[in-house]
Amino acid sequence: MVRRATPILAIAVVIALQTGLGLPPVLVFPLYLLIVLLTAFYSSRIDSLFCAVLAAIGVSAPAMLGGTSDDLAVPLLLAAVLLVVAIAVHEVVGRIRAEAVGAERMAMELQGREERLRITVEAAQVGLALVGADGGWLLVNERLCVILGRSRAELLHLTVVDVTSEHDQGAISEALSMLRSGDILRWEAELHQVRGDGGRVPVEITIAAVSDHPGGERVLLVQETDVSTRKRVEGLRDGLVAVRHTIVSATTWEQAAPQLLGALCAHLDWDLAQYWAVDTDLQALRLRQAWHRDGAAFEEFHNQSRRLSIASGEGLLGRVWQSGIPAAQEDMSVATDYDRVAVALQAGLRSAVAFPVITGGSVIGVVEMLTHQPRMIENDLVTMLSTAGGEIGNFIRRAETAQALRRSEADHRAIFERSPIGIARISSEGELLEANTALLTMLEHDFQVMRSHAWPDLLRAYDQAAARARFSPLLAGISEGKSVQVRAGTGGGNWLWLQLSATSIPDASGRPEHVLVMVEDVTVVREAQDKLGEALESQRSANATLEKLDRTKTEFLSIVSHEFRTALTGIQGFSELIRDGGLEPDEVRAYGGYIFNDADRVNRLIGDLLDLDRMESGRMSIRTADVDINEVLSDSIARAGSSPSVEFKADLDPRLPIVVGDRDRLVQVVSNLVNNAVKYSPDGGTVTLSSRAEEGFALVSVTDTGVGIPPDEISHVFERFRRVRSGAAQSIPGTGLGLTIVKQIVEMHGGKIWVESAVGHGSAFHFTLPLAAENVTPLQRRHA
Amino acid sequence: MHDRAVPGAKGLITVLVADDNDVAQRLCRRVLEKAGYNVLIAVDGLQAVEVAMSQRPAMILMDVAMPGIDGIEAMKRIKAQIPNQPIVIASAHSMSSDRERFLAAGADDILSKPFRLSDLVAIVAKLTAPK
Repeated sequence: MVRRATPILAIAVVIALQTGLGLPPVLVFPLYLLIVLLTAFYSSRIDSLFCAVLAAIGVSAPAMLGGTSDDLAVPLLLAAVLLVVAIAVHEVVGRIRAEAVGAERMAMELQGREERLRITVEAAQVGLALVGADGGWLLVNERLCVILGRSRAELLHLTVVDVTSEHDQGAISEALSMLRSGDILRWEAELHQVRGDGGRVPVEITIAAVSDHPGGERVLLVQETDVSTRKRVEGLRDGLVAVRHTIVSATTWEQAAPQLLGALCAHLDWDLAQYWAVDTDLQALRLRQAWHRDGAAFEEFHNQSRRLSIASGEGLLGRVWQSGIPAAQEDMSVATDYDRVAVALQAGLRSAVAFPVITGGSVIGVVEMLTHQPRMIENDLVTMLSTAGGEIGNFIRRAETAQALRRSEADHRAIFERSPIGIARISSEGELLEANTALLTMLEHDFQVMRSHAWPDLLRAYDQAAARARFSPLLAGISEGKSVQVRAGTGGGNWLWLQLSATSIPDASGRPEHVLVMVEDVTVVREAQDKLGEALESQRSANATLEKLDRTKTEFLSIVSHEFRTALTGIQGFSELIRDGGLEPDEVRAYGGYIFNDADRVNRLIGDLLDLDRMESGRMSIRTADVDINEVLSDSIARAGSSPSVEFKADLDPRLPIVVGDRDRLVQVVSNLVNNAVKYSPDGGTVTLSSRAEEGFALVSVTDTGVGIPPDEISHVFERFRRVRSGAAQSIPGTGLGLTIVKQIVEMHGGKIWVESAVGHGSAFHFTLPLAAENVTPLQRRHA
Repeated sequence: MHDRAVPGAKGLITVLVADDNDVAQRLCRRVLEKAGYNVLIAVDGLQAVEVAMSQRPAMILMDVAMPGIDGIEAMKRIKAQIPNQPIVIASAHSMSSDRERFLAAGADDILSKPFRLSDLVAIVAKLTAPK
């Protein structure tokens, strides 16, 4: 009101002054103009216009009321000027005023926006900050302080590089320099930063160049996200994946362990890992495998660990062993039940975690991991380690089983390769898959020929022989466990008797997968049996003849068959043992030796029997010629001279005349007597051969210092099969026909044979041969 | 009363093999030891009697043709002392008249030589089986 009244009052005063003093309009015009201007500045549009109209009336009224028309021009012009000024000034002022209001409103709006931004920044779930070109923190939000574990004030004195882990400092420094120079506008990375407490925190960081600050200096916007949770989960997942990968690609635990411990440490961010195995003999945990990060000096820690034997329930590892669940020592410096505290702290190790390696429900080992950072052990890590422990345990068991299988496989391979018996591995269709060396050597074929020809021939021969014996064919009759002897030619053109027996090897599901065929060369046994069979056959035919003869002959047959059957007992028994298999190579050799000896004995027996038969039936003729007995005796000594145990002496009559006889038969007589003398003499004995001319006879003596013949046996020594078997002589081999043959030969020459003996002192065999009619001595004959 | 199943070494049943032929000795020893018996060896009739008396084997496998006294004589002497001593005559004399002769002399059973190993084991098992 006052404001609106003031200009009106002022105009009224000016009108009063004008009227009262009669001042001309030109003089009062400045006063009106001043009032109109002020009003226009400070009052509303209506007020100022009203004021301008009043002023215009004031300046022009006196003239209009009392003056002439000529006088009217100036006042009206002045009035118009006042009105125009009022309107113009008001317009200008109104516009300025409106602009001022707009500016004020904008300022308030800006202030509000900044406040909202600040709240937003503070409340953001990512760390946000501005840093200067030197990397120094200019502005940081609360979240960043939390991520870095430092106060705002502390951070403002540091740089981005200061709070970055040593490993990542180079990268971030380079990034800052490139951002500064404008080479790049934005840099993103995942790196570790160092918290106020020294712990490391993995972050995702983005640094972007912000457009020029009004100050002109370039600043950088830093955005950080704490990815430790994500990292940990990823680490757990990747760690487990790495464990499985290692297990899948390794064959032995020794091979897998370093890689596996390293992978666990790398993915779970630990510095050192050890594998402790349960030693079932010691009932203790012993360090078996150790791994640590490159460059770190953990050797002393490993060395001390190696010296330890940890009992169940003792320390961290012992507790894990006992309980079968993971356990941790989160802060080594306050540990009360940890076995290597001192050396661990010395190596800078702060935390440890251990988990059991389990298979089949029992703990077979413990893995321990340590780090030089203080570490909280989260539940998901415990779960992951338990899982890994189970998988490692199963792997170790599998690997051990596989190793045992490989060893067993190697054993079987060696048996297969080195067996003296031929072994063939064939498919269930009979195709030869593998043949051992013994088989190829036996049949004198290489494998190719063996597979394509010799083996199919052998199978056919088996099936034919089996059919004759009413057995199933080889492939059909494996379960019967029969063995069949077949005749087979070798690559070298020899013929063998082979004994074949087959065994099937089932696969995991029990179906026969392939077949092993054992091939034994039984030629020697078989031929001996065949020869014996022939001998027995001839014996049987002789039996028909003998039945016509007297009881002596019957008894002779009984004795002969007894002799054969005694020899056959060994041959049959031991060949049955060999045939049934399951013998050591040494046994097979020894038994083969018995069989050979007895077969040989039977052979000699047959030879002797046939000789005797020919002599007794008169079918043996004596080819007579001049024979020098001394020469026969000397030759005999020379031949027997190889016997080292007996000393030979010769006492030969140089004047002994020539005898007439069959030289070969007389050699047989002398060598039989000499062999007997040697056989029945102990080591160091003496055998003396002497010759003497008697009336019309040559007297030959073979004297030994042997065991002698008991008086009750002496009259029977020339009878068939009357061997001296008592006392020391019982183990001496022979056919029991030698002396009978000797007596026959001597008597066929018209001579006589007899024996003198004393038990313990020796025996002397004497025989005579009629001298030749001419009575020439060998000396005379040579000079003739 | 004689307790004939005298346990030998390691509680095994003891069998006496009387045979002068060392191949036969080895064969019987190998087969019977493999079959789980404790095997004693006598190399002639007198030794067989002596061992039978001192060791009291569960059964005796007796060859006939042996030096000194033969198997038949040895069997008679043993049976005179121990009437229920089981004795099997193992002989290469295999004529039927021989068989009757051995049974008449008191043999509990006859094993003809040469024999199948399974027959040897079976006859020893039969005569050592607890009654």
